[in-house]
Amino acid sequence: MARVLVVVPFPMSEDNRRAREAQLGGVQLGPGIEFHFRPVRAAPANYTSEHDSVLADVSILDACKRAQDEGYDAVCIDTMSDSGLAAARSVLDIPVIGPGRASMLAALMLGERFSILIMWERWRHLYRKTLAELDLGRRCASIRSIGVQPDNQSLLAGKEEDVFPRLLDAARTCIERDGAEVILLGSTTMHQAHGYLAARLPVPVINPGPLTYKLAEAALALGLKHSRKAFPKPLAPRLDVIDAFFDGLKS
Amino acid sequence: MAKILVIVPFALDADGVARRQSQLKAVKLDPSSEFHFRPVKAGPTSFMSPHDWTLMDLAIFEAGAEAQAEGYDAVCIDTMSDSGMAALRSVLDIPVVSPGRASMLFALTLGSKFSVLAQWPPAIVRYKKAIAEYGLVQHCASVRSFDIPPDFDALLDGKQESAFPKMLEVCLRCVEEDGADVICLGSTTMHQAAAWLAERLPVPLINPGPLTYKLVEALLALKLTHSRACYPKPQVPKLPMLHAMLDAAAALSPAMRPSVVAVNKPPPEK
Repeated sequence: MARVLVVVPFPMSEDNRRAREAQLGGVQLGPGIEFHFRPVRAAPANYTSEHDSVLADVSILDACKRAQDEGYDAVCIDTMSDSGLAAARSVLDIPVIGPGRASMLAALMLGERFSILIMWERWRHLYRKTLAELDLGRRCASIRSIGVQPDNQSLLAGKEEDVFPRLLDAARTCIERDGAEVILLGSTTMHQAHGYLAARLPVPVINPGPLTYKLAEAALALGLKHSRKAFPKPLAPRLDVIDAFFDGLKS
Repeated sequence: MAKILVIVPFALDADGVARRQSQLKAVKLDPSSEFHFRPVKAGPTSFMSPHDWTLMDLAIFEAGAEAQAEGYDAVCIDTMSDSGMAALRSVLDIPVVSPGRASMLFALTLGSKFSVLAQWPPAIVRYKKAIAEYGLVQHCASVRSFDIPPDFDALLDGKQESAFPKMLEVCLRCVEEDGADVICLGSTTMHQAAAWLAERLPVPLINPGPLTYKLVEALLALKLTHSRACYPKPQVPKLPMLHAMLDAAAALSPAMRPSVVAVNKPPPEK
């Protein structure tokens, strides 16, 4: 049995954690693999500034830094920002998969240009960073926002009637005006809208969380993980310092 | 039960197809996936010139064009050249996965730069062209060859002792001199060397055929397929003409007539 740790980037109630876990229903998973969703111990309120990005990186690293010793075979990070991905890869020898980078590259297996559908403008910096790192900016047809403040706890629950049609309109603009051939959901917190959009759009819609689960399966089946050359180990690991950061907090 | 058609890009006999099928052993597959290997009816003999590339595009296109009507759920193409992929995507709604572009993009999920290991110098031009077409020039550390002529039928059988150490030496140069974080095997015909090389390299090595099998499983599980906006359907399909062309070519060399579709279920889990 392969065990995969999914790091949830915000502390949350058991009910809200289950709303994240419900992403597993979006995909058919193979036998012999199970996914455990673990929220971080502390986090920024949301991901709208560099202040938040630094806190996100360290909190996600904290949540998975000993995953290998805990007996996990792989780690998925449940945020399109890929926060903590590089740091986690530098300390772990098991596959670590973040949906941001992975969904952009997967989109290019299905078409030449993709658009990213986002809830509000305050997320735009997240994708710009990954696109710049990947050097694939010219493959991005557009990033379009519907101007609705997201809720990283309740996700889209209760907002379906308002939000889903707006996402659909924005996605159609991405396709018809911007030339998108593939649509990416800009956040794993938008997963509840995936089925609705996929059924109504003429191009593939990538649901980033479930994509990472299948990529984790593939990495394990192929015996592949990140390159140590691209993600070198620290000369002097200080996981104790990271523990100290979080041990003293009352969440 | 998912039925996947794997198109073998040369008109091989049963032994040649079996050597291709043994790629299935390199990866743990979903027990409900079934992979059927089918060689093309006719095609080029070498693979180093635009003449060859054009013939292979046509041959692979013909071999897979009816896959959906035949009840297949997806198609894999067993060549890093991605020959025939775009044409097949234009007529099929089921996923069509080919290892060239896919393995380079997959490499970028594991590191920032990849190198491609080519068989011999005449193969290099094709990779350079593909990498430019895919917009990945700045992500490619190098394309280097180990300078042994390819055998598309016997693959590396009998050449382990001469070829494997040369392949390793070239891969190490890609890593140490060119800065590769990941190595892509340049051909599915190199699969017999994959495990040996992976054990000895300090960076991940992508075995392209098995990668496509897992990507197909992922796409099917996620209900994803290629974008119709990128691969528009033909206004006037001429598939009967395509089949007639390849049947005529196959008649020229009856000895190379394809065997029936070979079926290989992945071995049961231990």
